Formats: sequence, C-alpha cells, structure tokens
Amino acid sequence: MSERPVNDSKKKSNVKRRDFLKILGVSGAAVSAAACSPEPAGKLIPYLVSPDETVPGVSTYYATTCRECPAACGIIAETRDGRTIKLEGNPAHPLNRGAICARGQSALQQLYNPDRLRTPLVKQAGTWKPIPWKDALAMVGEKLADARAKGTAGNAVFINQHESGSLVEFIDQWLAAFGMKPHLSVEFEADQATLEANRRAYGVAWPRLNFSAARLIVSFGADFLDGWGTSVPQQLDFADARTNFQTAPRFVYIGPRRSLTGLNADQWIACKPGSELAIAQALLGAMGHRTGTSIAQAATASGVSAEVLTTLANELKAAAPSMVLSGVRTGDALEVAATVAEINRAAGNVGKTILPDEPILAFEGISRYSELADAVEDMRGGRVPVAFVRGANPAYFLPASLKFDDAFAKVPFKVAFATQPDETVEQCDLVLPDLHALENWGDAQPVKGTLSLQQPAMDKVFSETRSAGDVMIALAKADPSAARRFPQADYRTWVMEQFAGGPRAFAAGLATGIASGNMSVRRTPGARGTGTAPALEQASGDYYLVTYPHTLFGDGRGANKPWLQELPDPVSKIVWSSWVELHPETATKLGIERGDILEVKTAAGTIKAPAYLYLGIRPDTIAVALGQGHRSRAKLAPWNPANNNNAQNFLQWGYGRYARDVGVNAFDLISATTDAAGGFVWTGTKASITKTGDHETIPSTEGSARQHGRGIAQAATIADLLGGKVKDEQEPLLPGEAPHEYLRGMRAPVAADAQGEIGAPTAADSGTLLGLYDPRNPLGMAKRRWAMTIDLAKCTGCSACVTACYAENNLPTVGAAWQNATVYAVHKTGYNIVRGREMNWLRLERYFEGADDAKFGEEFEGRFVPMLCQQCGNAPCEPVCPVFATYHSPDGLNVQVYNRCVGTRYCSNNCPYKVRYFNWFGYGESDRPQYAFPEPLNWQLNPDVTVRGKGVMEKCTFCVHRIREAEDRATLEGRELIPDEFTSACAAACPSRAIVFGDAMDPKWAVNQHIEDERAYTVFKEINAFPAVVYLKRINHPSPLTASKA
Amino acid sequence: MTKRRKWTAIPGLVALAAGAVILSAYSGASSSKNSSPTQPIAFPHSVHVGKLGINCVYCHYSANNSFDPGLPAVSTCMGCHLLVGPDRPASDLGPKRKSAGIQKLWEYAGLAGKPAKPIPWNRIHKLPEYVHFPHMRHVNAGVTCQTCHGPIQTEDKVYQYATLNMGWCINCHVNGYDPKQGEEMVSMVSDGRGGATLPAADRAAAATPDSLRKKARYDCSVCHY
Repeated sequence: MSERPVNDSKKKSNVKRRDFLKILGVSGAAVSAAACSPEPAGKLIPYLVSPDETVPGVSTYYATTCRECPAACGIIAETRDGRTIKLEGNPAHPLNRGAICARGQSALQQLYNPDRLRTPLVKQAGTWKPIPWKDALAMVGEKLADARAKGTAGNAVFINQHESGSLVEFIDQWLAAFGMKPHLSVEFEADQATLEANRRAYGVAWPRLNFSAARLIVSFGADFLDGWGTSVPQQLDFADARTNFQTAPRFVYIGPRRSLTGLNADQWIACKPGSELAIAQALLGAMGHRTGTSIAQAATASGVSAEVLTTLANELKAAAPSMVLSGVRTGDALEVAATVAEINRAAGNVGKTILPDEPILAFEGISRYSELADAVEDMRGGRVPVAFVRGANPAYFLPASLKFDDAFAKVPFKVAFATQPDETVEQCDLVLPDLHALENWGDAQPVKGTLSLQQPAMDKVFSETRSAGDVMIALAKADPSAARRFPQADYRTWVMEQFAGGPRAFAAGLATGIASGNMSVRRTPGARGTGTAPALEQASGDYYLVTYPHTLFGDGRGANKPWLQELPDPVSKIVWSSWVELHPETATKLGIERGDILEVKTAAGTIKAPAYLYLGIRPDTIAVALGQGHRSRAKLAPWNPANNNNAQNFLQWGYGRYARDVGVNAFDLISATTDAAGGFVWTGTKASITKTGDHETIPSTEGSARQHGRGIAQAATIADLLGGKVKDEQEPLLPGEAPHEYLRGMRAPVAADAQGEIGAPTAADSGTLLGLYDPRNPLGMAKRRWAMTIDLAKCTGCSACVTACYAENNLPTVGAAWQNATVYAVHKTGYNIVRGREMNWLRLERYFEGADDAKFGEEFEGRFVPMLCQQCGNAPCEPVCPVFATYHSPDGLNVQVYNRCVGTRYCSNNCPYKVRYFNWFGYGESDRPQYAFPEPLNWQLNPDVTVRGKGVMEKCTFCVHRIREAEDRATLEGRELIPDEFTSACAAACPSRAIVFGDAMDPKWAVNQHIEDERAYTVFKEINAFPAVVYLKRINHPSPLTASKA
Repeated sequence: MTKRRKWTAIPGLVALAAGAVILSAYSGASSSKNSSPTQPIAFPHSVHVGKLGINCVYCHYSANNSFDPGLPAVSTCMGCHLLVGPDRPASDLGPKRKSAGIQKLWEYAGLAGKPAKPIPWNRIHKLPEYVHFPHMRHVNAGVTCQTCHGPIQTEDKVYQYATLNMGWCINCHVNGYDPKQGEEMVSMVSDGRGGATLPAADRAAAATPDSLRKKARYDCSVCHY
C-alpha cells in the first residue's frame, strides 16, 4: 500500500471516505443496538388443565423396563414437564440393581429419533402414501380374511423382535384367533448353542453366573462384559468378585480375538478359531474324563503351547469352585458348550458358580436362527400369504447369501409394525407406526420369581403412532370370529388382566417397577439334527474370519443412535466407521498400514473397510464387527439437514440418517450356515485380503495406545496387594504461598488469585473473613470439597459412563457427515472427529501394557481409564484464562463460566489431562446445519444444563447442576445434605460401580474411604495439580506360569 | 477533512462506539427493563392481587417448590370465572358491566363454542439460558415477589420492574436482602397516575443494619452451569 503513489490513493479514496464514515456510523450504531437489544422473551403457554402430581420444573420418575436387549433390566425414566430426559437403572430391580449400559440409555434417542415414523403409510405403485388408520386397519383385515378364505392363513409369518413377557403370549393368541401359526421371536445376537447346551445340562436356558464364588474363570469366547447374556448384572457381579481381593478369581480368556471381555482377563490364550473344542476336551480330559483329546493334541490343533494348557488344566483342577463359560460361534459351538457344561459338572461348579436354581428367564422362547431361515424358504416358495414384522430387521441382519430380499418380495402382503424405517420396513407394503417402549405398556420376566413392569414414561411423541398391541386388538375386534377372543378395550387392559393378581397388583407394582410372581414362558423346543456349517479348515482363503456382534450396535439396531455412533468402540476406540482388525505382524507382512482400505473377500461376498492394527488378534485371523453398513435400497443423495421434511421424504433413508452409509455390513461376508443348535454360525469361513491402494484416516478418539511411562493407568499384582506393597508413599510438593492451612483432606492449595480478593468482594468489610473461600464464612460453601474416585480394578471399559455424560450434559454428537468442519465440503462421517472436534467430556482411555507392537505376543494387558476433568485444586487452566471464565469455586470445583468465556482456548492448551473441549461450530444452535439435536431429539435435552453455543470452552462440571439441585432440595426440606444422597451421572450409570462421587471434606461420604485406599493414586502427581479425581490401581492376577518364570 | 483529522476521527468514532457498547452493558441499558408487552387478555394484577388479595402462589403455584414459578392453567382461571362471567349485573359490587377480558377467557376455555386452547401469554421476565434461577430458594428465604417483580399489586399491566442484569442480582447476594424493603414493596398502593407509592404510615425510619440483611452465595457456579 505504501508504495502506491499518494495522488492515486487520495483520488480513489476521496469519494469513498465519506461513505466509509457514514457506513461506520450507521453500522456502529447498528452493532451497538444489536448488542443491547435483549433476545425476545417468547411466549408462555400454560396448561388447559394442570395434570396431577406434576410440578413444573421438577422431575417425575417412572419405573419401567428397558427393551433394548432381551435382558429386561429395570429403568427409572426421569420425566420433566412431560418429556423423558434421562434413563437410569432401577435400584430395586433384581437384575441390574441400579446400573444401566450405554445401549439402554440410548433408548431415548430412539424415542426421540428424528427419523421416527409418524403416520401409517401404504406403498402404492412403488411410492409411499400416508393413509388414515381406519383404512390401514381395513386393508389388513381384508388381507387376513382373504388368506383365511383361501385356507393359507396357517402359512402366514409373524417375525417379532424378542421381548420376554406376556407380549409373546399375546401375539400367539392373536395369531391363533386368525388361524395363523405361532410367531418367530427373533434375537439375532442370542447364543443359541449355549442356550441349548444349558437347557440340556442344567434344565434352564440361562443359569445365574455367580462370579463371586469362583476362584478361576475360564471363558471360551464368552464375552460376558460386552453383550453375551445379560451384560449389566454380569458386569456388576464380576466387578464385585474381582475387588473382593482375598477371594478374587483369576480370569483366563480363550479365543482368537481379544474382545473387551478378553482385555479384562488376566491371561489371553490365543487359540486358532475352531480349535476351542479340542482345548475344552483336553481340559475335560485333565479332569479325569475320557474325551479322546490329550493336551498335546489340543496344543497342536490350537496353536497354543502345551505348557500353557497344562498349567491351565492344573489351575482348573486346583481351583474350587471355578467357572467355565463358552460363547464360541463356530460350527461346533454346541459341542463346545456341551463340553464346557461337562467341565463345570466335573469341577463341581454347578450350584456354586453356575446357579440353575436362579435362572435368568429373558432368553426363554427365542426362536432359532434355523426357524427363521425356514420361514425365508417358505416365502421364497410363494407359500406365505401375509408377513408381519415387528421391530426386527431381518433384511439387514440375515446374511446376504440367504437372499432374504428376493424371498420377502414373493410375499404378496407385508406389514411392518415399526418405530422407524429400516431395510425391512422399506420392503413392506403397509407400515404401521408403533409406539416406543417408553410410551407403551408391558411386562417382562427377567428372573425367576420377579416380574418387571413396563409403563409409559410420557405421552406419545407423535400423536398418530399406535401400539402394535392396540392395533392387533382393533383388528381382532373388526373380525367376527376373532372378536370374542379379545374383549379388552386395548393392549394395556389385556396386559393388566392377564397379570398375576390382575390390574390391582399391576398398579401396585408400578411404583417400584417390579412385582413378585411368575408368568408362563413359551419354551423353545429342543434342537434336532446337526448343523450345516462345513469345517472351518476347508474354507478357501488365507485368514480365519471372525465376525462378532458389535458391543454397542448389537445386531445393527443401535446404529441409528448418534450417542452410540459417537461412543468409541471400547476396544478399538473407533467411531462412526467399520474396520478390519488384523495383527500388526500380519500388516507388516502384507505392507498394510492403519487406515489402508482393504478388500475382504469370502465365498459369500466382499467388503471394503479400513485396516485397524490390533495386538489382540492372532496373526492368522482377521475380525470384523457387525452392526454398521445400513443402506437404503434406492441410491440416495447424502442426507441434507435443510431437507427435514419427514412427511414427504422419509423411508428413503435406510435405517435413518445417522446409520445410513456409515461403514460396511459384515453380514455380507458370512455364509448362511447353522450349528447343531440351529444357531447362526458367525465364525465359519476364511477370507482373503487385498490392499485396494486407498487410504483414510480412521475416525478415532485415541491418541496413543501406549502410556509412554506416564503412569496414567496404574496396576499392581495381587501378590503385591496382599503383601502390602502397593501404597504409594511419595507425598506431593505444596507449591507457593497459597493460604491453605485450614483446608482439610483433599483440599489442595488453591492459587491465590482464585481465592483471595477476587473471591471475596466484601473481604474488606468482614474483617478477617476470606469471603466464600473461608470455611468459617456463614454461607458455608467452602465446607465441601467435591471429589471422585474411580476403581480401575472394577472398571471394565464398557463406556456406559460416557453415554450417561452425553445424556446428562447435553453433549452434542459431531460425527455425522453433514456436521463436518467445513460443512458439506468434505462429506465424510466422522471427519469432525478426525479433526479432533469431539465433545466427550468424559472419555474412556484404553492402553496396552506389555507385548511388542510389531511381533505377536499373548502377554499384554488392556487398561481402561475414564478420563474427565480432574477438578484440580491447583488447576493449570485457571491462571491462564484472561477473563476468569475458569476459576476455582469454594466447594472445590473447577468451574467453567460459559457466558464469560471468549474462546481463547489457553486453558485447554495448559490442561495436562486434555479434558477441555472447544465448541467450534455451534453444534447446539438450531439454526445451523451442524445442529446436533434436530427436532425432536432436542426434547431430550436436560433443562438443568446450558446448551452451549459456538466459541466457548466446555468440560466436565462434576455434574454441578446435580450438586445444586441436591443443595436446593436439602434447603427446601430444612436439612443438611445426607452423605451419598446423590451422585454424578457417570457414577449413577456405571455397571461395575467403579465410580464413587462425594464430599471429601465430610468423612461420612463413601468417597473418603476410597481416597484413603492403599491403591489410590492421582494421575500426573508430579505436576502438583492436586486433582479431585483419585484412581485406584487395577489389580492383575498373573498366570502361575509367568509368576514361576519371573 | 485533512488526512490527519481523518486518522483521529475514525478510531475516535470506533472508540466511541465501543465505549457505548461497554457502557450500555454495565449501565443496564441493555436490559429489557420496563418492557410491557400487550397480553392476549388484559389481565389486571391490580384487581386480582391488589383489590381481591389473592395470594401469588394461588396461580403461580410452584414458586415455592420449583425453579419454575408455574403459570395458572386455564382451568385455574375458570375456577372463579365460571361464576364471574363476562356479564356482570348491577349489584353491590358495582354497576352492570361487560368484560371483554373475561369474554376472551371464556373463548380460550372453550365456552364460546370453539375448542379450548391455552392462552399464549407474552413472556416478560426472561433470564438468559445460561442462568439458573431457583424461584423456590428466594421465595422460601422470605424474599417477597415484589422485590424483583415490582409493586405487582398496583399494576394494571405488568412490566419488567428490575433490570435482571447480573449486577442487580449480585448486589443483593453480596450486600444482602433487606426484609424491610421487601415488605415496603408489598405495602405499596397505586398513586393513581399509573405508578405506585408507599402509604406515609409505612415509611421506614432507619436503615436496616447489616446483620439483619440476608446474604447469599455469590460464587459464579451457584447460578451459571
């Protein structure tokens, strides 16, 4: 500019200068006017008639039953002003005892899913048209009457997502009234082989597993912490057993891939896929049974050293009682499960660790996969006149090689009862929008002797949706011959009338959500014949292919919930994506790096997905998780948030906007074969892999899988613990001249600038009092020091706490394709997370200890650390904030004041724990395309917590709103806080009870006992940040073999 | 304008604008104080509270046990107005009269042949969403409604009495709530010119000593989370 001739510049700017000044004046005024005008206050809409028992702004809690998996845990739905905003476990429920998993909590995102069906629809000439309920019912009635007239009604198929409880009986009665055969109750994840073996060995489908009695747990691929069986109660019991150190069981995991459960094991025995039977038989042989397989033979078959197997056999003989579990999904799964049951019997475990007298009843009545496959063949043969599907999504989870779509198309009339579109609904002729479980009535029998009740936690989200039960009763009423079977007005009346004790008992039980009693359970008939799976070794391909249901998505049904998509896979820490797991050794051999797109090919099909190098898999094996890869049949343009008109453009989205085009469907790779129990074979083939040459950065929240000597996740051996050698004696240094004399216990010296004059505007007036920071101040804020302990010996890494945090604190999910950093420019799911924009206030870090990154080795351990704001007493983030947006509160919280924050991000830069997250793109602002809560997902937002806008730093608040709410309640009731009367959202959810929250200044709170535990340590103690989060070391039980070598 | 004057004028104007913004933020000018939107029904608090003496929590029924003070359901209004209809015959209460407001209420309540629907009141007092204001803590601490909402018993049309700015909140939390002042607000009567005044007899003689003022926690995280 300066080199330009002066004249020229003058000439050009002469005219513009006045304009410039005018514009400046006008815009300056406009800016100041805009800055000063308050936001519009809006409307206040009162009730017409105020409902009973509700107070505006105060939550009501309803006890009901979770339906996200068959287990039927008890949940408490928190409902505020008519909207359910949070789910927590029901402490009175015998199954889950107050805990809840990530999948259970995400039920809310199904309830409020923006892709939910809102009106009945009929397919006419290939397009969908809304249809009034009256016409829809008439249409179904007509088709049913037609089928009956032709005598083909008996061939009709009804596929239902398995739910324990009286719904099973209801559907069968309804079908019988129309002359149709009993329905298929489908649960694709169910371990049919184990269910069958249990029934044969113990007489029940699922005995309770008593982990605390066991001295040794041996699991053959039974992932009891990530979805196998009833994961929440198993996790509770396992965590309890493992922290009862005097009698804690050692845990050995046998399988080709180390799952989340495997990472929690003390020892991993990496056997070849399909060789579990040989090992089980060898162990049984060692117990004195004649099995025909010696340890040496098993060692040859499995690729495991004979020394390891001999040690295990000796341990098994010595440990009394032990617990041996099988969850293998190979062609010989039933034989493995039966052998394992024999071992349990031989070791005398039945009645001690395996309790058939206290059965879990949730899995009774599940139809076998083979029955479903038979029904598909009936459809293909054109014998099925009408098909009903409720909840289940066979078009997704049945392997492509079964060609379900072709068979289904041969059914002339297909009806879906569904809450939202999916691959199966898309192919139906009539869609009847169903109620979500949180809007509906029902019951379940989780365990013997106790019934779990289900009641609506709120009114319907969409007025035109109707419960499938109500619809079926209405259909029966319209039919002259079926009408007399269903005199009840609606499904609710039906449930209550058939309930043991009638409506009165049902209503009485609703307060706690449970009632004592038993209901008749439809039994699964015994399996006949043999499986159809060929021997694994005969398959062509270079690598064994292990497929498994995803911990979070299950058989795919979780993929439409952004909380679950954004929740890192507990093992790989990958989000919003599919991946192929292979060992680094294999990768080096093939020249593959993390993120290289591989083509995986089997006899059944091909997928392309990025490579993830994982220590916990055999070099001759690759693994793919199931659950992603939902597609729509039509080729669609990417989802555009501006185009949010569900009335017109829904049903084109596959399984909804959050699941569509994320990852690949591994069901494409699997041949449709069965084991002898009629179960689906997940690990039954080999695959070949080729590099495609493409590469992508896998969206993952992981920095490094190694600790690099930082001591974040610490552990000790059981011998050291019992020998009293665990206590960390080194005291931290006290910094500076902070006035800390009066601060007891965990209260660390607070930086003077956060505690002196700034904290005490009236300090000058009140003599020696230091304002709010002085415990003698009558306002009493400094009486407390909020703190947390996390027991790593209990934590299994399941990540339920992370989802609890998302639900409680209105954390936005950022990984959907349209939320990208440069909105629309890079249309890739998870790209925001590649850029590090995730907002997980509480993250679950997973580290590997031991083994070599390049060479295969079984001896490494997985360590899990929930990492959240440490609420440091001497916080590095506080002194660097130029506007005091982050400072230290008198009750020990490291507070972030959103309205003060100007977004310099210095605090995050200075945080040694990297637990501060910056809101880059306004995910909480509804007028932006990257808005994380499209209507009605925003109905779930917690009104107690601010929805943060763009440009502010945010982080874990220690659930300060819960602290204030408890204080308010105590004041209202004229009392002090009761120790442990409330807890943080993460601690409330935790299914292993690893997290304890409370006041470290008052010894009556439970958290104090844990702070004083000999295993206690704080992360990065050397930097003297004085965290309020105290971790308790994980405890390992090394193999006697390792111990003898050491 | 010479070149030199230009370089003083432009930054000067910018500084002025910035100063105005800052000043207005601190002065309370950015508040919607005194805003008084026209309501769908001209509900006179002066009649209901001032004249009839209805307790505030009769209608704002959760002010003493929730963050949310509560807004009367239409059925609450109709509890009285089913009997007190739009047409009032001449009686000892006054001459014959027709009330347009009650007529409208009847329409909302569904008595005029149309389906009932809630009254879309225009909100007057609103705090930003990052502020959490527990009504029950204040009500139960003895802070009179009028302390923040003004002499509501005299208001024919409600307006925002206080600035509701943070400085205004902090002032009370740090220096303490003066119960005498709160009581005075309750005793106020209409001055006949649209304002409120304190009857001479109720005027306080001396200032409340510091020890009798009710102080409250003023830490940021008490309200901001």
